[in-house]
Amino acid sequence: MQPIHTRLDNSAPAADGVLLDVRNLQTHFFTDEGVVKAVDGVNLTLKRGQTLCVVGESGCGKSVTARSILRIVPAPGEIVSGQINFRKRQGGSIDLATMNPKGREIRRIRGGEISMIFQEPMSSLSPVHTIGSQIMEAIMLHLPVTKREARKRAAAMLDLVGIPRASERLDAYSFELSGGMRQRAMIAIALACEPQVLIADEPTTALDVTTQANILDLIRDLQQVTGMSVLFITHDLGVVAEIADEVVVMYLGRDVESGAVDAIFHDPKHPYTRALLQSIPRYGNHDRRRLYSIKGIVPHPFDRPRGCPFHPRCDDFIAHKCDRIDPPRQFIGREHSVRCLLYAGAPELNSDKELPS
Amino acid sequence: MKPDSAVNAPVDSRGPLLEVRNLHMRFPIRRGMMRRTVGYVHAVNDVSFYILPGETLSLVGESGCGKTTTGRCIARVYSPSSGQIIYRVDEQETIDLAELDNRELRPFRRQIRMIFQDPFSSLNPRLPILQIIGESLKVNRVASGSELEDRVAMLLQRVGLRPEYIRRYPHAFSGGERQRIGIARALALNPRLIVADEAVSALDVSVQAQILNLLQDLQEEFNLTYLFIAHDLSVVEHISHRVAVMYVGKIVELASTEELFNNPLHPYTEALLSAVPKPDPRLRNKGVRIRLEGEVADPGNPPGGCYFHPRCRFAQDRCRLEEPPVRELGQNHWVACHFAEELELRGFESIGAASNDIG
Ligand SMILES: Nc1ncnc2c1ncn2[C@@H]1O[C@H](COP(=O)(O)OP(=O)(O)OP(=O)(O)O)[C@@H](O)[C@H]1O
Ligand SMILES: Nc1ncnc2c1ncn2[C@@H]1O[C@H](COP(=O)(O)OP(=O)(O)OP(=O)(O)O)[C@@H](O)[C@H]1O
Ligand code: SF4
Ligand SMILES: [Mg+2]
Ligand SMILES: [Mg+2]
Repeated sequence: MQPIHTRLDNSAPAADGVLLDVRNLQTHFFTDEGVVKAVDGVNLTLKRGQTLCVVGESGCGKSVTARSILRIVPAPGEIVSGQINFRKRQGGSIDLATMNPKGREIRRIRGGEISMIFQEPMSSLSPVHTIGSQIMEAIMLHLPVTKREARKRAAAMLDLVGIPRASERLDAYSFELSGGMRQRAMIAIALACEPQVLIADEPTTALDVTTQANILDLIRDLQQVTGMSVLFITHDLGVVAEIADEVVVMYLGRDVESGAVDAIFHDPKHPYTRALLQSIPRYGNHDRRRLYSIKGIVPHPFDRPRGCPFHPRCDDFIAHKCDRIDPPRQFIGREHSVRCLLYAGAPELNSDKELPS
Repeated sequence: MKPDSAVNAPVDSRGPLLEVRNLHMRFPIRRGMMRRTVGYVHAVNDVSFYILPGETLSLVGESGCGKTTTGRCIARVYSPSSGQIIYRVDEQETIDLAELDNRELRPFRRQIRMIFQDPFSSLNPRLPILQIIGESLKVNRVASGSELEDRVAMLLQRVGLRPEYIRRYPHAFSGGERQRIGIARALALNPRLIVADEAVSALDVSVQAQILNLLQDLQEEFNLTYLFIAHDLSVVEHISHRVAVMYVGKIVELASTEELFNNPLHPYTEALLSAVPKPDPRLRNKGVRIRLEGEVADPGNPPGGCYFHPRCRFAQDRCRLEEPPVRELGQNHWVACHFAEELELRGFESIGAASNDIG
């Protein structure tokens, strides 16, 4: 059981604009075969009105991080440590990590203050209810409105996300919509109660580039209008370059590097970040040069390497150091952090000291 | 019947390995209890192109435009509704694969192989790697017993997997490794043409890079020819010699990679290029973006005239009435747009996708 106590902290400064502050989050799955450390030390800071991208390869813990924030990690998963400080609309900060995942408070926050678009749109839209009734349900769960008002608002939402003939489409079922329209409907449901934070888990991965471009525009436009913050999960570095203000690069459940988007693309520090950037095909290689490729593969979750989890694949690997010392999170710029021993002075064994941000 | 297409193969001493002429593929749309045919999805609609030996030709376009169906017709997974698939058997002889029945196709099935998108579902989970890869060698009586094992081990090595893995099952491999197994299987019978349908689409960037490198190495080593189907234009730009853009079952533009990306002549190509995310935050909001509104036309009920006209920012009355033929403008650059000469379209460079100082 999770303890049910929330930490009210009205004195915390809101001036820095930090809305969501995840500190050293660890979410593990206690399976029969062993413990999967899906998220094993993640820090992220989402500011008001900004877009934070979480990027990394399949299985690195992006979705589990998102689910941890909303407290919808499925069993046998559990948050084993860390804080998820969230600044509520009415002021005051609470730690979502300590809340009862089934409690009233978190249910009010879910959908009301923080909403999520899931990776698989088909599985999160109901096939037996109309799009309209699903948006209305989301509205009526959080706002004191009549059914008629909810329907009007639902039509306005569909219109807002660019679905033509919105009031007719209220009565459509999800299978009657194209992939792009479905994704727009999902966004309409997620935004129905004007959340402060939108978590979008790979919302464009299954879409055509043309549709993807339209959805990214839509999210950007809505952000302009509503001032919401967006936590955007993707494995596509092109998408990151298009929409991120801040970036967190994950590898094996860790935030191996984080910083402003320009720093991540033009001054990357972590060998993994550099390798990722080098392995994407870039325009102008007409001689069909070979791509840089990271050696080896992502290790099995039960087989986490000792020391730096990236060391078996790292080109800059320092023998007797990287395979022994777990690199702590270090700040190398004001808002640029990295977990890599190339930048460590003389770290203590296994220390993970938080530096003041 | 005279082929209408302007996409005729060049008169080259080598000659193309494959020439597709006026290919059509219609799927019946069935409704009701009696499954009556109420219409047809015209998935591939008068497609013509050729592929030279050792070349990589890519097919791109939005979902449902007919890329997979075209690839499957060529590999003769499907029997095309009409059209020709002229395959070069040797220096003297060509043969129309579209006309052959299953028995006659036998020898060519060894030479034309497919690699699929989904490395997870395209391998039988109950068979060890030895059987997955060795199957076709056995069926075609190329090898058996210890010779078969040796050949499979060699193939594994060639795609960068340890030969010791020969008795493992697919579940014991990562996504990228499974894709390598799929490639090894396709290579087993020394093919000449490989149809790679979204072969790297499901892979992470780092694994994708490994597989793209592998495909290029194998091409050089064995002079392989690829029909490469993908929707990621950055990948296509990287790997292809030439690119064909499809829209609702038709090829709307075909040119060398450099030509197509720098100097597109079809408004649809321009829009596709402008939608590609630029992997550099400094290029954000630079250049012009062309956003395609509306949906891809339904291939079961396409609009009249130019299929692209409802979404085209240059459409005129003529586009609504008259279907634009495929024309050759410039050397080996084909396009199906009435106004291709007059339009000033933006290529990748001017849209602002080029950048080199990263990472
Ligand atoms: N219910 C579960 N039980 C056990 N392990 C799980 C469960 N859900 C996720 N995991 C494991 O946690 C790790 C992180 O998974 P997660 O879904 O967060 O990855 P991701 O970064 O979102 O990947 P993708 O890009 O493929 O969506 C993986 O190793 C995964 O196998
Ligand atoms: N076996 C089939 N029966 C009926 N219709 C089909 C069949 N296969 C494909 N189609 C239809 O033909 C059209 C072209 O499909 P195809 O799979 O070739 O497109 P694609 O370009 O490969 O798309 P994607 O990028 O989504 O893979 C689509 O409208 C599709 O619904
Ligand atoms: S023919 Fe007309 S509608 Fe078609 S692409 Fe050209 S300008 Fe646009
Ligand atoms: Mg995920
Ligand atoms: Mg396809």
